[in-house]
Amino acid sequence: MPVYSVSRRRALALLALSSILLITLDLQGNSIVDGVRRAFGTVFEPIQDSARVVTRPIENAWRGITDYSDLEDENRRLQDLVDQQEGAFIAALATARDAQELLALNGIDDLTEISSITAQVVGGAPSNFSQTVEINQGSRDGLRVGMPVVNAGGLVGKVTQVFSARSIVLLANDATYAVPVQIINLPEATTTTSTTTTSTTTTTSTTSTSVPSSEAPPLGVATSVVDQSTSSPAPSTSVASIITAAPASTVSPPSAQTSTTINIDNLPATEIGALRGRGPDQPPIVEFVEQSSRFGEIRVGAVVITAGGSKSLAPRGIVVGRVVKIVERPGTAGAILEVRLSARLTSLNFVRVLLYQPAVSE
Amino acid sequence: MIELLNRPVLRLVLLGFVALALQTTLLADMTLDGVVVQLMLCLSVAAGVSGGSERGALVGFMFGAMFDLVLSTPLGLTALVYGLAGFVAGYVNSLTANHPWWLGSIVVASSTALATFVHPIFASWVGVDGWLTLRVVQVAGVVAAFNAVLSPLAVPLMRWALVIRRRARLAPPPEIFL
Repeated sequence: MPVYSVSRRRALALLALSSILLITLDLQGNSIVDGVRRAFGTVFEPIQDSARVVTRPIENAWRGITDYSDLEDENRRLQDLVDQQEGAFIAALATARDAQELLALNGIDDLTEISSITAQVVGGAPSNFSQTVEINQGSRDGLRVGMPVVNAGGLVGKVTQVFSARSIVLLANDATYAVPVQIINLPEATTTTSTTTTSTTTTTSTTSTSVPSSEAPPLGVATSVVDQSTSSPAPSTSVASIITAAPASTVSPPSAQTSTTINIDNLPATEIGALRGRGPDQPPIVEFVEQSSRFGEIRVGAVVITAGGSKSLAPRGIVVGRVVKIVERPGTAGAILEVRLSARLTSLNFVRVLLYQPAVSE
Repeated sequence: MIELLNRPVLRLVLLGFVALALQTTLLADMTLDGVVVQLMLCLSVAAGVSGGSERGALVGFMFGAMFDLVLSTPLGLTALVYGLAGFVAGYVNSLTANHPWWLGSIVVASSTALATFVHPIFASWVGVDGWLTLRVVQVAGVVAAFNAVLSPLAVPLMRWALVIRRRARLAPPPEIFL
């Protein structure tokens, strides 16, 4: 006994074929499909906004029940971080100023020159497979598809859909996300600082402070001085030598000035690779790493930043995270680097959309 | 106006928009161990249970296409999976003459689990990699359990949306006359 008639089979086959046709059209970038998506988004936006207003109290109650202990833990952790950051902030200000001056001298674009818009995350991913969030800024605020999204921690993702007053951001851990990155191997000795102290006498004493580090420090944590010696440092190139010797007759309070000395051998070497997300359970990886002889071996703890370039959707210099594991592959395939993202993608609240588009898309 | 509201297409469109709005706002944030409850899938398979395989496939395709339009995934992928889920739910449900509510829940849960497993497989076929991981098992379990709990509400709701009268509901499934 036939369970389904020919006409029913035809109808079902038609549905399946329609789906396949839609998938094919969408994957090839059809303008009609994009138009339908935009139109649906415009119609759906007010309905979604109304639903958000109505369901917000229920959502808040649910979060209050399920996230209370997590919030307490996070609060304690953040308090510790704030204490650490206060010290690091002052040191970072001076370093950032030096870096900006150097970048400006060499005509290199700086992230601080790129305009940005702050947006709030108003929704999570409605699907269990794609890693996206919804933000409350859209095309009327200047957002375009492809713009990079960051937060205080670093790279968050990129804008993939833009409506008039909201946008969808594809997170960096989504399986379809990819961006060219640079891996910066931190030098063995992280800093070499020469301090020149001037006082009422003409005697000048030089103190060298070296920080031996076998492991890279965590992001955002200040490096503490653990060893002080009076021996002269290794041969070095002085970039900015500030030597102040007060005249013998002048009576002035003791002051200290710091000059930065950079050893070329100790400069961080960089390598290029491609970062790819792998879903919420697995850390993103960097593939296609082009290792050069100067770079040497990639070490766990190496910093990963966006590489920029004329075709990259993200400008150079956005912090992505740190290498946490190196998986060697035989042959010429090169190593795969597992990266721990510095931005916490599971608890996003405010993000910054960089109004940046690569030169080729303009 | 009332006559217009009695049309299944209009009811389905209205229900689809409301369900999609809930899916993208409330349910997207109320996750359980990171798993999002899939209301659109629940309604698709409930349509199959209440209206048969053909209606299930149609409603699944429609709700899946609506969901696709707000996702970043290829348009048609979710429509294909939900259409298949609705069809399977209707077909399995038609194999028995008696339909107690708990059987409907089992059918909804099993069809949901099937769709959750099939979704990443279809995605990898069309070039969307990275979905087929062990997490699918956890997602399928949680979503199937939730949909089973929701089915006593979802099945009558879809019966209303599809304008299935009591007499038609109690009649034997049309498949057995073919």
